[in-house]
Amino acid sequence: MFKKILIANRGEIALRVLCACKELGIRTVAVYSEADRHALHVRFADEAICIGPPRSSDSYLNIPQVISAAEIADVDAIHPGYGFLSENANFAEVCEASHITFIGPSPAVIRMMGEKDRARAEMAAAGLPIIPGSDGVVPDETAAADAAAEIGFPLMIKAAEGGGGRGMRIVRNEKELLPAFHTARAEAEQAFGSPNVYFEKLIERPRHIEFQVLGDRHGNVIHLGERECSLQRRHQKVLEESPSTVVDDATRKRMGSQVVDALKKVGYSSAGTVEFLRDSSGELYFIEMNARIQVEHPVTEMVTGVDLVKSQIRLAAGERMKDVIPAVKFHGHAIECRINAEDPEKFTPSPGRITAFRVPGGPGVRVDTAAYADAVIPPYYDSLIAKLIAYGDDRAEAIARVHRALDEFVVEGIKTTIPLHKRIITHPDFVSGNFDTHSLERMFESQKKRN
Amino acid sequence: MQSHGLEELEYQHGGLLVRLKKASSARPAEIRAYAEPGPVRLAIPPVAETPSTAAASAPDGQADSLHTIKSPIVGTFYSAPSPEAEPFVTVGASVDVGQVLCIIEAMKLMNEIESDVAGEVVRIHVENGKPVEYGAPLFDIRPRK
Repeated sequence: MFKKILIANRGEIALRVLCACKELGIRTVAVYSEADRHALHVRFADEAICIGPPRSSDSYLNIPQVISAAEIADVDAIHPGYGFLSENANFAEVCEASHITFIGPSPAVIRMMGEKDRARAEMAAAGLPIIPGSDGVVPDETAAADAAAEIGFPLMIKAAEGGGGRGMRIVRNEKELLPAFHTARAEAEQAFGSPNVYFEKLIERPRHIEFQVLGDRHGNVIHLGERECSLQRRHQKVLEESPSTVVDDATRKRMGSQVVDALKKVGYSSAGTVEFLRDSSGELYFIEMNARIQVEHPVTEMVTGVDLVKSQIRLAAGERMKDVIPAVKFHGHAIECRINAEDPEKFTPSPGRITAFRVPGGPGVRVDTAAYADAVIPPYYDSLIAKLIAYGDDRAEAIARVHRALDEFVVEGIKTTIPLHKRIITHPDFVSGNFDTHSLERMFESQKKRN
Repeated sequence: MQSHGLEELEYQHGGLLVRLKKASSARPAEIRAYAEPGPVRLAIPPVAETPSTAAASAPDGQADSLHTIKSPIVGTFYSAPSPEAEPFVTVGASVDVGQVLCIIEAMKLMNEIESDVAGEVVRIHVENGKPVEYGAPLFDIRPRK
């Protein structure tokens, strides 16, 4: 087992990793920028090293500084958390070259999963379903007709060289195909200098379902069920839960085992999340994989009783999966609210000094946060200040608990998205479990209209 | 290497050794003779040390005029170019702009730290071979008028 671990991160995830290390009897080294001098991860670690000025690129993303800190503190391993250097294959390689264990997958696997097209190709080859598409550029009308016949309708025409909606067209039937094909090509040429387009099946009302996985260094991989992460704003997750109301036991077993098989084939180790889009008929399509521990990992921890971060550390130290997690059982329901330092209606950031901070407790409530009364939330990093997780025997109890916990969560001095979460969890679409990745935007639209 | 500001990178895995060096006019001398520093305990700094508090700790009371050179990187402080050599500077030494005051070793690379003022070395904050973090005070210099 490692004697000392350096945590290459900040905020709530640095504290989370600190927890796991302390419980395993491992000494901890925190690194921090000048803006985080009074941060809790600095205060609670055994050792702390300042690695740079406030900007991430000069500090938390500065590989030489992080590695140098690891060397002078003589650590055995580095835990990269999420974001920052957690999916930087270069960093993982430099760790290896410096004889420091990088707590995560191998550099080759990180690189594979980081190149999204390649990840899709490898996962498809390994047996996971991917969104039916043209598999490359559709050059002419004949190819267009062939591709449409294979993919089916509705389909999406997308520009190969750019995004942002330009060169994009929805095609609902054969009659619309060729006119849309030509218009999309013209638009793409205008916007990106290339008329190249490809086709993809259109998933309407998609739901974002992701599977948590863990792998040891001996080829064993397990899954720990799914999380429902459809409630998003501008592709940022706002609220997550496990299990998903639309995934039954049979689907969980089937998809879980497909995921495990695919990841064994590519030699995956450590924690990771396999993301799918679910269409209205219930089909799941692989979109990408995050080769790291994720923000929303606590909901899986609550419903399985597994400490994912401790498991990551033990597996990175060489322990076998059967000794770390002999079996996975699911019980109950968990919901996580990401609380950001933002205006709950305008979403503008709200950094500054917290003047009052009272965290809810009681049965089934967990709060992961690095904030505290009198803390200054710096403007240099992301706006997540706390994760409120509620667990219950069933979804109704989890909802009741998260509702009461939101009422009891006091944060003053800065604006937070607590009011937003109260609106979400009382919204009929959320309560009914009937929502998709566009629902949150629709909830705001109707709110705006009411105002 | 460019994007991470690395001057030199050595990577070894199995039978493969790769060494990349950036052509640079300011390449510091390589030193291999030092023993590896032992396990280090760095105290958590209690309060942010601002330039004024660092200068105010100077013994002779001329706090306002002192200029503190701080470490721009994390690493190990060496006061001399090699274990047998004389230190670059001692207390009382007169230094010029650009003069090398010490070496900070990071990831096996020796980085020369130069003075950005001309003056007299009034205080040396760090012992030879000790680790330093970003922003750690190294030298107090009384600038020459």
